[in-house]
This record gives sequence, C-alpha cells and structure tokens, in this order.
Amino acid sequence: MKFTPRQIKGNVNISPVSPVKDFFELVLRILGLILAAYILLGLAVDYIAPRVSIKTERKLGRLFSAGLKKGEPSGLEARLQRILDELLEKGRELPPFTYKVYVEGSKKINAFALPGGNIVVFSALLKKADSENELAMVLAHELGHFYHRDHLRGLGRGLIFLLISSVLFGGDSSANNLIHNALTSAQMSFSRSQERAADLYALDLLNKTYGGVAGAVDFFEKMSFKEKCWPVFYVFSSHPYPQSRVAALKEAIKIKGYPVGQKRPNIISEDAIQETKEKDI
Amino acid sequence: MLDLIFLVIMIGVGYFAGTRVEKKHYKSIEEREAKFIYLPAVSSKNLLEDRPIDSTLLVQGNAVIATDYFKVILAGLRNLLGGEVSAYESLLDRARREAVLRLKESAQGADIILNLRIETCQISTAGSTEALAYGTAVYYKK
Repeated sequence: MKFTPRQIKGNVNISPVSPVKDFFELVLRILGLILAAYILLGLAVDYIAPRVSIKTERKLGRLFSAGLKKGEPSGLEARLQRILDELLEKGRELPPFTYKVYVEGSKKINAFALPGGNIVVFSALLKKADSENELAMVLAHELGHFYHRDHLRGLGRGLIFLLISSVLFGGDSSANNLIHNALTSAQMSFSRSQERAADLYALDLLNKTYGGVAGAVDFFEKMSFKEKCWPVFYVFSSHPYPQSRVAALKEAIKIKGYPVGQKRPNIISEDAIQETKEKDI
Repeated sequence: MLDLIFLVIMIGVGYFAGTRVEKKHYKSIEEREAKFIYLPAVSSKNLLEDRPIDSTLLVQGNAVIATDYFKVILAGLRNLLGGEVSAYESLLDRARREAVLRLKESAQGADIILNLRIETCQISTAGSTEALAYGTAVYYKK
C-alpha cells in the first residue's frame, strides 16, 4: 500500500459558531432563568412574609439592631418616643413589638424602620420638620411598614437573590459581602407601592390620633421642593417621587374626607438637635 | 460595580488577545503542516511498504496551550446550561496539531512515523491543556 500524503481541507473539530454570539446568547438565557427564578421565589416570599411568626421577626430584629446604641434614651429620643406612643395607642393591628425610636446624627434626610420594632430617625430630618404633626406622619409611615410587614418582604427578596447567586457562583467570601450588602440595602429600601401603602396607613393613623390630617403633606412638599431629579430617572428609584407622593396623599385625603384639624407646634427644639453630633452615615 | 467593570475588561482583553494569538498560531500550524506533508505520521502498527529498515526511533512532541479569560467565562456559562463546549474545541485542536508538528520536527530525515498516539491532559485548573504525541520514526535503508 502506498501512502499518499494530502492536506485535509477545513476543520471538523471546531464548531462553526461565533464565540461572541454564543457568549451573548448564553448570558441572555441565564439572565432569563435568573429573572424567572427571582420572580417565582419573590412570589413565594410574598406568600410567606405575612405568615412569619412575630417571634421569628423579633429574632431577626435583634440581628439588625445590634448597631444601635444601648442605654438611656436622650431627651430628643424621649420626646419622639412620646409622639410614637400616642400613635401606638390608636395603631390598629400592629404586630406586638416593643417600638422604640432612635435618633442618629446624619446630614441625610431620612428615617427607616428596622425589623423587630426599632425606628431610626436622622437628625437632619428633625431639623426639616416645623410641626409635631409632620414628625408624627414620618413615624406613622414607618409604623405602616411594620403593619404591612414590608421588612420581611424586602429581606426575603434580598435573601433569595443571594441564594441564587451563591448557588451559581459558589459561596465564597465575596458572597458573604453580598449577604451584608443585600441585607443593608433591603432594610433601607422598599418598593414604590410599599411606600405608598405605608403613606396611606400613616394618613389614617394620623387622622385617628390627631383628629385631622393637618401637616401630613407638609414634609413631602418640602422635600419635593428640594428634589432636583428628573422624574424619568425616578422611575427606577425605590422611593416614590415626592411630588407624586404629595399628589397621592392629597387625593386620598379628598376621597376619604379626612378633616384638617389643628397643627401642634414642634416640641423638638433646635438646641436639642444640635446636641446630636452630625456624622456622615 | 467595580467588580463588574473589572470583569468586563478581563473578558474583553481575553477575547481580543486570545483571538489574535489563536489566529497567529493557526497560520503557523497550517504553514508547517504544508512543509511537513512529505513525512507521513500514521496510526498503523505495521509497515505500509515492504522495504528494508535502517533504524527506528521513539519520537515525541509536546504542546501546552493556555486558554484565555473569555473562553473560561464562555465555558463556565456553558457548564450551567449544558451542551457543546465549543470554546475549548480550538484549544484542543491547536494542542493536538502542534504536538504532532513537534513530533515530526524531532524526526528529522525519517521516512514514516508509525503507531502515532496522542494523549491529552489538563495542566492547571485555570484551563491550560497539554497534548503529547508519540510514535515510532522509521528510517529505511537508502
């Protein structure tokens, strides 16, 4: 047998697919799967969240409130606590937590509720408020989050997202960082519909406690004046655009026919706020 | 966010550098294959021609080809969904052909290489692959 050498044309060992096309196709398919899993598990969380026991939520709350200072409340906190207690007397069907207000020095105008009954108010927010009703509205709004159990929902979705990523990319130390980030962002942000629901709850509670809704929209009106952000970009933000929040509140007042009532002067003095040292949180 | 930017840069660099190197390598492989076409390397254990033999020699060629970051990510994504890992096909193809070429280079003056075998293995977890080609070089009596 004579061997005749010849070159083989083409290469059957390499698939004739473009690697770039292959790459994007895979990325899109995987993102699609992740999205589907996220939505499905998110629905599961919406189902589970209202059914989580108070005991479990209290345990979770301890996890989140570890950073809060212990000991006697400051004068400022005691005064806010008095407002809160008044609201709690009328608060319907709130989970039986021990509700406590903490004041943190910060230049950010914000307040948030931690799982388990703790509410943190930033000192800059106190400066903005002109009447007690405004502060009560903010506190009542946070109580609204407790009423709807928004924390568990926010937390649950954060946890689920984490679960997916750790299954896909392994549970190394960077995943642990992700846990922390996911949880801290979950405690700060709720969806727009959750914020609106908390607003409506707050309005109702304010009306019951103060016999009117005076001052309910004042704070948001001030904020909407401050906000220099295009509404288009606000679509992606978790807090509703204050302008639309004011409109929604005003409409709710009209529909439910809440009386206006009297505003109470602010019992928080400038000096007391100055005492709380501002730091950048 | 910074992690993501870093990842995109790594994938981009991997793709462009990897493609360039691969193109160059294939060009060189094809040139040398044409050059060595006179020397047959066959998998047969027996002589193809009935000619007196002067000597025989064990010859081998070895090549290690590294992957690039783009291919690693592409293969990683493929691992999630299943299917053909086309990203690594060219890697193995290059290693195999390069190994055979080196084997031929080491068999200077031979008339035929019999019993050609090719083996492959993974060199590092990063995805480098090795191909080893070995065979028996046969020198006929002139």
